[in-house]
Amino acid sequence: MTDTSHRLYAVVIAVVVFFLSWATIAAKPWATAKPDPRLAALAQREQRLRADAKLVQQVVDSRMTAYRLALKARTAQIAAVKAQAAAAQARAQQVSQSTAQAPQYAAAPSVRVVNLPPLTVTRTS
Amino acid sequence: MLRRSFRAMGTDVELLLDAEPGERAEGALDRAEAELERLEQVMSRFRADSELSLLNRDGRTEAASHDLVRVVKLAIEARQATGGLFDPTVHDAVVAAGYDRTFDALPLALAADATSTLCVDSTQGPCGGGVRVEGTTIELEPGTRLDLGGIGKGYAVDRVADVLAVVGPCLVNAGGDLAVRGGAWPVGVTDELTLELTRGGMATSGRDRRRWQRDGEERHHLIDPATGRPAVDAPIRVTVVAASAVAAEVAAKAAFLGGDVDLPRVIVTADGSTVLAGGLA
Repeated sequence: MTDTSHRLYAVVIAVVVFFLSWATIAAKPWATAKPDPRLAALAQREQRLRADAKLVQQVVDSRMTAYRLALKARTAQIAAVKAQAAAAQARAQQVSQSTAQAPQYAAAPSVRVVNLPPLTVTRTS
Repeated sequence: MLRRSFRAMGTDVELLLDAEPGERAEGALDRAEAELERLEQVMSRFRADSELSLLNRDGRTEAASHDLVRVVKLAIEARQATGGLFDPTVHDAVVAAGYDRTFDALPLALAADATSTLCVDSTQGPCGGGVRVEGTTIELEPGTRLDLGGIGKGYAVDRVADVLAVVGPCLVNAGGDLAVRGGAWPVGVTDELTLELTRGGMATSGRDRRRWQRDGEERHHLIDPATGRPAVDAPIRVTVVAASAVAAEVAAKAAFLGGDVDLPRVIVTADGSTVLAGGLA
């Protein structure tokens, strides 16, 4: 009985040792792990995107600089025009006050008496 | 020289365009005619569905067109500038005098209630009713109605001239209200007198046309806002030249009613003599 048990244990241990050895050898712990090609492609793509983003940022920065310069020039133009308009309005108010009786109808049209056949006639409307 | 004549705004309209005949010029004349029709639909008091008729009916509009707002504002300014001699609120007086339909449809002799006259606001005289314009809202005081006949025609003439001027020098004449853009245009004022207009507008107000009989009494369409009745003791007609047809129309009416107008003008007095004034010689 005891011998049989000992033999059985020895066989089980031998089988276990065998499978452990097999698994260890099959895992090839001495071989270096090969990098995943998908990870490498992903890394390359990330690098390209970073480069593109840097380029786009440079373009945006240069355009923003140009826009700020144009905006500054335009703002200055608008301010100048507003100043001119304010001055013109002030002059117009002065003229208006001086001709308050008929401000709208005082503008001089251009007309003279001629001795020509008329192209059309005016009459009571 | 291209010339197109047609009827619009109850009068004869002439478009003169100094341009080469062709599609471009014809297109401009078409657009000018269409613009006149569009403005008539805005400002005619003889069309029940015009914007002005709806305003007169309701007393208020909150979505007035740009043109109606502009003309009403011009009319209010004109009333202030002429001390009330020009008044767009004479509508009821004109109607009361018998001018209640287009002149083409008006019978020569009317026999109706001759005692009717207008009274809009007794605190301001027979005319001078309140008109408020704010943005696109126009509000009339109760009982006030607008007649934009004269000033509306002047405004339309100025606008149509702007349309034609894109193509070349032009003259627009709507029943005596004229506007020119570029060029030199001889315009007959009387049988013996011709004025050459190179800039601005011209208009004539008088009692020699658009007149009719009512109860044996002669009436005409020029209402004196002070009395609410057709003006009496006025010259036969006054022609005024101004910076625009609108200004000429307003000034002609004011001058006809005795106002002090400092613009080139021709007055045909009651005895038929012609007087030049305002720098004309």
